[in-house]
Amino acid sequence: MIEKAQTRIPVKLHRNVALIQTEDALLAQELLAHRKLAQEIVGRLADNVLLVRAGRVDAVVQELQRMGHTPQVM
Amino acid sequence: MSSEVAMVWDTHTRHTLNRYDEALLRQVAHNLCKPRNQWPVHELIDRMCAGLTNAAMVDRRLKELPVACRQIMAIIHQSRQTRWSISVLVETLAMLGYDDGLAPVTALLQSGLLLPELAPLGTDPDERSAARSRVKNIESWLTRSDPIPVVLAPPTIAKRAHGEPLPIEFATEANDNPRIFEADGLEWPMRLAVLWQQTLAAPLRKTQQGGFFKRDHERLRGDPLLCAAPTEALAEVPDPGFFTAALAEATGLLRAEGAELHPGDLPGSWQSSPLPTLLVELWNALARVSQWSPVAGADLPEAGAANPYASAYLMAGVLIAQVRDDAWVSPNTIEEWIVTRHPFWRGRKPASIGIATFLLGVAHTMRLLQATKNAEGAWLVRPSPLGRWLLGGADQQPVVATFKQTLLVQPNLEILAYRQGLTPELLARLSKIATWKTLGAACTLQLEPASVYRALEMGESLPSVTQMLEGHGMKAIPTAVLDSLKTWSNKRDRIRIYPAGAIFEFASPAEMNDAIARGLQAVRLTDRLAIVPGENEIDYKHFRLMGTRDYTLPPEKCVEIEPDGVTLSVNLSRSDLLLDMEMLRFAEPTVAPAPTSTSIARPAAQARRYYRVTPATMLTARQQGVTLSYLEHWFVQRSGYSIPAAAQLLFAGPESPTATLKRQFVLHVNELRLADGLQQWPRTRDIITARLGPTALVVDEANITALADRLKEANIAFEIAGQATTSEPEA
Repeated sequence: MIEKAQTRIPVKLHRNVALIQTEDALLAQELLAHRKLAQEIVGRLADNVLLVRAGRVDAVVQELQRMGHTPQVM
Repeated sequence: MSSEVAMVWDTHTRHTLNRYDEALLRQVAHNLCKPRNQWPVHELIDRMCAGLTNAAMVDRRLKELPVACRQIMAIIHQSRQTRWSISVLVETLAMLGYDDGLAPVTALLQSGLLLPELAPLGTDPDERSAARSRVKNIESWLTRSDPIPVVLAPPTIAKRAHGEPLPIEFATEANDNPRIFEADGLEWPMRLAVLWQQTLAAPLRKTQQGGFFKRDHERLRGDPLLCAAPTEALAEVPDPGFFTAALAEATGLLRAEGAELHPGDLPGSWQSSPLPTLLVELWNALARVSQWSPVAGADLPEAGAANPYASAYLMAGVLIAQVRDDAWVSPNTIEEWIVTRHPFWRGRKPASIGIATFLLGVAHTMRLLQATKNAEGAWLVRPSPLGRWLLGGADQQPVVATFKQTLLVQPNLEILAYRQGLTPELLARLSKIATWKTLGAACTLQLEPASVYRALEMGESLPSVTQMLEGHGMKAIPTAVLDSLKTWSNKRDRIRIYPAGAIFEFASPAEMNDAIARGLQAVRLTDRLAIVPGENEIDYKHFRLMGTRDYTLPPEKCVEIEPDGVTLSVNLSRSDLLLDMEMLRFAEPTVAPAPTSTSIARPAAQARRYYRVTPATMLTARQQGVTLSYLEHWFVQRSGYSIPAAAQLLFAGPESPTATLKRQFVLHVNELRLADGLQQWPRTRDIITARLGPTALVVDEANITALADRLKEANIAFEIAGQATTSEPEA
């Protein structure tokens, strides 16, 4: 039996994106309220997704650890 | 030797022989396999490699060479190390009584039984540099100074010299009823694990001279764990902290990054190998320890000075291996043997060179030696079963007894580790999960949020941590500890950071669901966006890329300004995720404007999104802190043009001065020079209020009569539009 050929899904690819995904929107809001951290955030992609300035991930991780968080670096 | 290792050596031998000059290659081939015909180079190399695996042929070649060649090959085999510096081999041969220690090494190189190290074993030398660094003859290669010549001894060849008698004699003693001391071999692995853990938090910094910076110097000299005397050492080891650091660097546990020593990945011998394998690695690394000596510790006379200890340690091992199972030898006898024959110390008569300290303090704690005391109370040593195997006297690796249940996890989050059950793998995992507090017969470690977080970041998981603690635990893990582990682990799941993720942007939620159904391993971010942590995991056969954007590159120009100056169109194939967020700060989405004669012509298939700048959006932007300079920069970056006047007008509105609407009379003249003249002539100059254009002048209503008079005076015809009143020139 010949399987029906699957069409390719059109997609736009964003490569090398640095972002933070939080458990909930409230935590994202808390991070945005932190002045030093907010400087490294360039935008909010969704309620719980924050875009990080390119090349500043290490600084963000350090700042989060300083705040007492234990971020999971994927 | 496994087939994989044999393959590595075969490949490396071919690479090395390929870089020989042809004349040298033929000379070495003649010495090694004596070819009868003039074979082409590649065939000659094939025959030489085949010859090196032919035990009978290697035996014949070794037998033809001087006895010193066989003896040094026997020592190399005994050392379990295939890579040796020429200087160490020459010093070793000198201790055996051969004044010209270089000649046997040269003979072995010229016979192809030793290889010059032209590239690290297992690496492919750069073909482009091969021509430049071609070896023309062995003698000139041996005389180079940078890098220092190093030779490689294929294990299959060195093994053929095993059992060659060595010209070594020294006095041994019998001890009929000895009380034997044998260490567990864990002292230095534990200290290395502690140092590795400490450098995770703060790397060691080195000066240009190779010493440590003051802070790290004090740290290595004062740390309570690293500087405590080894539990089972029979002699005081000077500066044990520095020795641990030097050993860690030599084994690759710490790797140099510029001027700093950072913790490297734990080598394979720490992952699943038994303790003897790790001890072989540490023993071999001793030859590379140059920043510490058993007589002076870290206080070496000067940086870059000769290091005689590599050959001294090697010879000490060779001498110890000569001691029979029923005999003992004094460490001082070994030291004396070396000091009287080693070319570095010969004739100097130093008080001590530290070899006895090394044997009792380091080699004994590495479980290589057994020790006992003679009738006078002086220490005597002989090889332990592990030492006899390691030093080449036994074929079978001794089995080290292990006790799996060796941990006691206490409710206060402290782990008690009884060292008889510790293995390299357990040491490595404990070093990730908990912080070392004390070393001793029973070591203590502390479970802390930071240590557990570190372990999770290094690939452990909550189940793997609990499984390990339960598997090696003498009792069940207390509930409080389990709860703490769960809490810390869950806390880590609250924030995820993707340092370089690949985001898929789909046209619709349905397409995203389809992609995930087809096996895309992605995490949903929104109903149209999903992220994959690494690009390597993407199977592109299911996707048609409509656009790609790399966020490490500067933003692309993807915005076009419509002729009205307030409508902005975005080219979706070139835009990025930041653009929408940036534009929503000062514009609002809108529909595509109706095409007009001034509209920008673009391909019909080009997907676009439109935004419009309005007074309200600009007011919001100002309230949110957007500045005119930001907008100017943004328009240049995203459209390639400066901010349009209409947008600037809407943004600057509240700051603009009050606009005034008023009635004015405009005097139109036909020529530019007439307008210039009226503005300059003193009689009319004061009457002209402003100039609107090249030939248009503003006059106040009250001055119309005066203007008419002056124009008449200047003989210029004048009329008020829409009125009959005219004035004609007098002449």
